[in-house]
Amino acid sequence: MDNTSIWLMIIGVSIVSLTPRIFPVAFFSRYDFPAVVKEWLSFVAPAVLGGLTAVSILAPRGVIDISIQNIYIWAFLPTIVVAVKTKNLFITLLVGIGTMALIYNFFGM
Amino acid sequence: MQQEAIQQKELQKGMKEAIPIVLGYLPLGFAFGVLAIETGMSVAQATMMSVLCFTGAGQYIAIGIMQAGGAMITIIMANVLVNLRYLLFSTSTVPFLKDRVKPLAASLLSYGLTDETYAVAMNHYQDHEATASYMAGLNLTSHLGWIGSTLLGAVLGGFIPDTDRLGLGFALPAMYICLLVMMIKRRTDVFVAVFTAVVCLIIGFLIPSTMDNLSNIIIATIIGATLGVIINGQH
Repeated sequence: MDNTSIWLMIIGVSIVSLTPRIFPVAFFSRYDFPAVVKEWLSFVAPAVLGGLTAVSILAPRGVIDISIQNIYIWAFLPTIVVAVKTKNLFITLLVGIGTMALIYNFFGM
Repeated sequence: MQQEAIQQKELQKGMKEAIPIVLGYLPLGFAFGVLAIETGMSVAQATMMSVLCFTGAGQYIAIGIMQAGGAMITIIMANVLVNLRYLLFSTSTVPFLKDRVKPLAASLLSYGLTDETYAVAMNHYQDHEATASYMAGLNLTSHLGWIGSTLLGAVLGGFIPDTDRLGLGFALPAMYICLLVMMIKRRTDVFVAVFTAVVCLIIGFLIPSTMDNLSNIIIATIIGATLGVIINGQH
């Protein structure tokens, strides 16, 4: 891909990635959603996080890997315990990263 | 408190809540910068892509398609799919932003909507009112983290420390786990989250290509949220 094409590609990707973020807020802010739509939307965040968590732990390299060799599953265990106990993002992050560093370096997988 | 002091506090709150996000973006943005240079982009192009697009998965896909000698239109079409989920995310922030943040400011600041800023903000809105200053602090700090780490990766390229050794590969998963735990308020939320997770994996298993563009998450979310409404309706 030549220089000009790369710039055009970047602009194209920019348009298609920003439109779906900006358009709903710009457009729907004028309207009041019916109660049932609001309720449906209130489930989007827990649903998305459930999906993202599952994929990031059980398919960390883009392919589903449910096995004892998947070190993400091992790091998941202490991390979720700390998350439930503390409900603190920063502490959870430190425990998660720390556990992963330990497993990665000492069990070298 | 004076209006200005409140705004200042909200801005700082947003910036503070962006710190874990920046930590998670660091290895990802860095790796994108390194790969972009290897694929033939200039430092300016790699950095500007992070400025203008701010889509982790989408930018990685762009690199992958470029390496495979794919066409520009393929990259753009793949990005349409990858970014489709933001239609849902963005729409679900509307009830919190409406009447609180001016539409123009809310729209412009939604430039910085990502999986991570969305989850942190939605969690914040559970017990705080949305403000433009908070959105600015959270989204702009996260975006700067993404841009800065891309630039670092693009410039430092060869001298990459192995960020996996530092456990940074688990930063985003750890964040998702904690945000999920914090986001669960109703019993139905637990059910919806687990159900969506399972559906997401089943779709990804049956149609592996959905894992590349995250469309499994979109489909599973639509099914999961609908189920949530149905369950709640029965009580």
